[in-house]
Amino acid sequence: MESECPTETKKGKSKTPKKAKESILKQKSPAEFFAENKNIAGFDNPGKCLYTTVRELVENALDSAEAISELPVIEITIEEIVKSKFNSMIGLVDRERVDEELYDDYETAKAREKRLAKEARAQEIQAKNAALGKKVKEHAVSKSSKGRGEASFYRVTCRDNGRGMPHDDIPNMFGRVLSGTKYGLKQTRGKFGLGAKMALIWSKMSTGLPIEISSSMRGQNYLSFCRLDIDIHRNIPHIHLHEKRDNKDKWHGAEIQVVIEGNWTTYRSKISHYMRQMAVITPYAQFLFKFVSDAPDKNVTIKFARRTDVMPPVPVETKHHPSSVDILLIKRLIAETSKQNLMQFLQHEFVNIGKPLAERLIGEMGPEFSPKTAVKSLTDQQIVRIHQLFRQAKFDDPSGDCLSPAGEYNLRLGIIKELHPDMVATYSGSAQVFEGHPFIVEAGVSVGGKDVKQGLNIFRFANRIPLLFEQGGDVVTRTALKRISWNNYKINQTQDKIGVFVSIVSTKIPFKGTGKEYIGDDISEIASAVKSAIQQCCIQLKSKIVKKMQAREQQERKRNLSKYIPDATNAVYDVLKEMAKSHASKKKRYEEGDADILRKVSDHLITKETLYEKLTQHVEKVDYEMALEYATQTGVREEPREDIYLESLDDKGNFFDFHSPIFVFRLFL
Amino acid sequence: MADKKKRRRADSDSNSASQPFKNLLKSDAQILQILKSVTSSSSSSTSKPLTLADLALSSTCREVSDLSLSSVQSTIESLVLQLTHQILSGQGFSFTVPSRSSSNQLYVPELDRIVLKDKSTVRPFSHISSVRKTTITAKILSLVHQLCLKNIHVTKRDLFYTDVKLFQDQVQSDAVLDDVSCILGCTRSSLNVIAAEKGVVVGRLIFSDNGDMIDCTKMGMGGKAIPPNIDRVGDMQSDALFILLVEKDAAYIRLAEDRFYNRFPCIIVTAKGQPDVATRLFLKKMKMELKLPVLALVDSDPYGLKILSVYGCGSKNMSYDSANLTTPDIKWLGIRPSDLDKYKIPEQCRLPMTEQDIKTGKDLLEEDFVKKNPGWVEELNLMVKTKQKAEIQALSSFGFQYLSEVYLPLKLQQQDWL
Repeated sequence: MESECPTETKKGKSKTPKKAKESILKQKSPAEFFAENKNIAGFDNPGKCLYTTVRELVENALDSAEAISELPVIEITIEEIVKSKFNSMIGLVDRERVDEELYDDYETAKAREKRLAKEARAQEIQAKNAALGKKVKEHAVSKSSKGRGEASFYRVTCRDNGRGMPHDDIPNMFGRVLSGTKYGLKQTRGKFGLGAKMALIWSKMSTGLPIEISSSMRGQNYLSFCRLDIDIHRNIPHIHLHEKRDNKDKWHGAEIQVVIEGNWTTYRSKISHYMRQMAVITPYAQFLFKFVSDAPDKNVTIKFARRTDVMPPVPVETKHHPSSVDILLIKRLIAETSKQNLMQFLQHEFVNIGKPLAERLIGEMGPEFSPKTAVKSLTDQQIVRIHQLFRQAKFDDPSGDCLSPAGEYNLRLGIIKELHPDMVATYSGSAQVFEGHPFIVEAGVSVGGKDVKQGLNIFRFANRIPLLFEQGGDVVTRTALKRISWNNYKINQTQDKIGVFVSIVSTKIPFKGTGKEYIGDDISEIASAVKSAIQQCCIQLKSKIVKKMQAREQQERKRNLSKYIPDATNAVYDVLKEMAKSHASKKKRYEEGDADILRKVSDHLITKETLYEKLTQHVEKVDYEMALEYATQTGVREEPREDIYLESLDDKGNFFDFHSPIFVFRLFL
Repeated sequence: MADKKKRRRADSDSNSASQPFKNLLKSDAQILQILKSVTSSSSSSTSKPLTLADLALSSTCREVSDLSLSSVQSTIESLVLQLTHQILSGQGFSFTVPSRSSSNQLYVPELDRIVLKDKSTVRPFSHISSVRKTTITAKILSLVHQLCLKNIHVTKRDLFYTDVKLFQDQVQSDAVLDDVSCILGCTRSSLNVIAAEKGVVVGRLIFSDNGDMIDCTKMGMGGKAIPPNIDRVGDMQSDALFILLVEKDAAYIRLAEDRFYNRFPCIIVTAKGQPDVATRLFLKKMKMELKLPVLALVDSDPYGLKILSVYGCGSKNMSYDSANLTTPDIKWLGIRPSDLDKYKIPEQCRLPMTEQDIKTGKDLLEEDFVKKNPGWVEELNLMVKTKQKAEIQALSSFGFQYLSEVYLPLKLQQQDWL
């Protein structure tokens, strides 16, 4: 689906004779607009640009593989390019500095003196610390902060096993902003057809280098290769090379390579968080993440292995819900529809309007409407009337069938795989509606785990992409922090290592702000759905936690009871002793049974030890009885077992089998 | 309004401009006359207080009474013998403790106080959830037994320090002490355990404390600390016309220093916040013996009213002894929510109520002791609606002595209490 592109008309205009008076009115192409406002799409600074580029490429790759129901295998490589290498790539000769004082980072004699003095002092302190045997913190090598113009460049490559792209469409898919395949009403990761193009615009802005795309579709015997950049002023692709090549491996998918300015040092952790959380929400994908640089100690390779081959179904495209459309959208639907009359139009272009309802609606619209009205002939006023009625009439809520939530199973696997928690509970809510768009909230809550910090660790996902920024204002964060009383579920909000995972899927996620970074806290439908999903998880956890506490109580009961025996016996015996004294001195009279006891106390037949022994015996008896009762109640351990997922192997492996009657031992060569 | 102001400026000195309503004050003699007529009418109407037995509630409700030392001692002894029998027969031991939870409380409108219902819980030694409390209970019983033998008084703090390791926290030993009172069916004072002195009294009162005669007009500015053991207090005499109950220490000091009780004969009492047992007992004794009206000066916030309710109908924690601790018929003099506008307390002295405050206020509206007094309900509704609160000190915005020189005399003159 190609969006109408304003460039066509613009082209015509730009060719109008220049003699005509220069108009102050200027026009901007979409590409120009986004180049100037790149922060809208998450390209704020070089570091964030690197992050967003990775993110957009990964998300496109996942969408592409899922579209053909292929288990995604995605490789993403970031290669650091030093300045000299970069210069040679673009054919620029490295120049030595001649006029040192010309540069911003030139060190004047005074500054140099100051710096040397400071370094000497630092060394002195370090020597002192070392002498005192203090653990010397590796003094961060004071890297001379990069001066202006000392940019770092990265080649980002993303390779997937997805659908690939038709040979002829490739230039337009990358070289034209706001053209895309994801404009239908459906749950998708990307939405506006901006991501890869923004990466290209950024590469053009920062390095001037083109993007390289290799792609092949299933069953295609050639491989498309395309090198292109974008004509920002006209918003059209500028093709350097577009050719068909051999596809020897029968590979299908896409590989995209782009060289951009970035900042690995400051965004390393964001990128690795992103990959980790992506692995949580898509455990059926396999990710290989590599960072390559000239310094081998900085290199990173992380493999996120596949843990399941169960994929959520492909989200289907759905029709609009009458309560979610606006006048423009109605006009577009009318322009695009193949239906002739109003009756058919209502029935076929919207969900939840059946024949009887369509008839009632038309009746309600007024006398100038009839079921046979030709839909293309509707006037503007009539369309407004339809829109008004859509706003006011009551329709059934859209169903969540068109959504593809991650699924409890996948969410659970992802959490277990990435956090290794002690306990985990998941819950999947039913579909609900906000402004005519269905949404589903799924949640997982985990307790304990490795590499998890104490307190709340919140992981947010929208349409199965991790959200990393703007955590503070997000509906999930606020709900977990403020509206859940963790104490009620025997969870300690500050001491326990709590993981909260919330995934929201919808045909339209109501993001706040410009970037797709957080969902606001002001939508009560979503807030309450999030709250109840988290609570459901907590309820499940509570019973597990209580069981654990009981088990611990079982083990410690005898010790805890016995601890108090001396205090209790002392208290009772102290009173008895005093009473025995006054009994002996005949100050007071007691009944026969009581007098008998007091006599025995006086004669040391009943002592502190007697009471102690009797109480101990009692505690032992009670402990035994309760242990027996506990065992009969709980029975054998019924911890649910987790399925193990074994990844299937490549069939071309070279191995020997050693067969025995009960097993096979396979030796790989 | 404007010409009223003008008139005031015209016929009174400049001081009144900063102390609004001063011109409304009549002479002290006239106010005294009004008060005297009120006092005489109220004292004549006092009748014998009702008891649980009068309402045929003695079987379903529980109340404790003052017991002599020797009977406390023998009750403990028979209980301990019972425990010994249980232990020796190999059954461990347990206490049956009257429940003091809020579900076991009952507000009796005829008595105008909270009483304890008859639910009890068993506290066995051999259960993991109760072993601690059971042990502490046994320990406290044995400590009280010692007090009985030696016939001395100790404070709650003393008690706690006899075994810090076991009690861990004074809150725990204090709570069990109340349990022990319930088990034995006696008041806490009968256990010879007292709380540290907290309340103070000043004004036209003479009484004997442990044999010494005390004249509360000659106690200096600070007043006389209310003695912790009420059984040693007696021979109360007074020529006061009313008792003024003050929530805050600051307001108390103001009134004491200004010798407010000499201008209008009265007795001024404060417990500096939530009242302790000794102050409540003392107030009750004064009310019973002197038959004077009690007027309360508290903050205009939910906690002020709560404190008022503790004096009036008792706290849930000590409802088992409400008969001895509560003083019936306390009038709410001020600062009432309606006073904020009536006395034109400036905005900067009013505080917005927090959400917690509003919640407490709304909860109070559900309480029976508030509901029985329509005037209070109205005032509280106003507070919750305006969402504003003010402390007694807000009056200081008209001058530090406004409280004692204008506000209180005017209130008394208009008999403006609920």
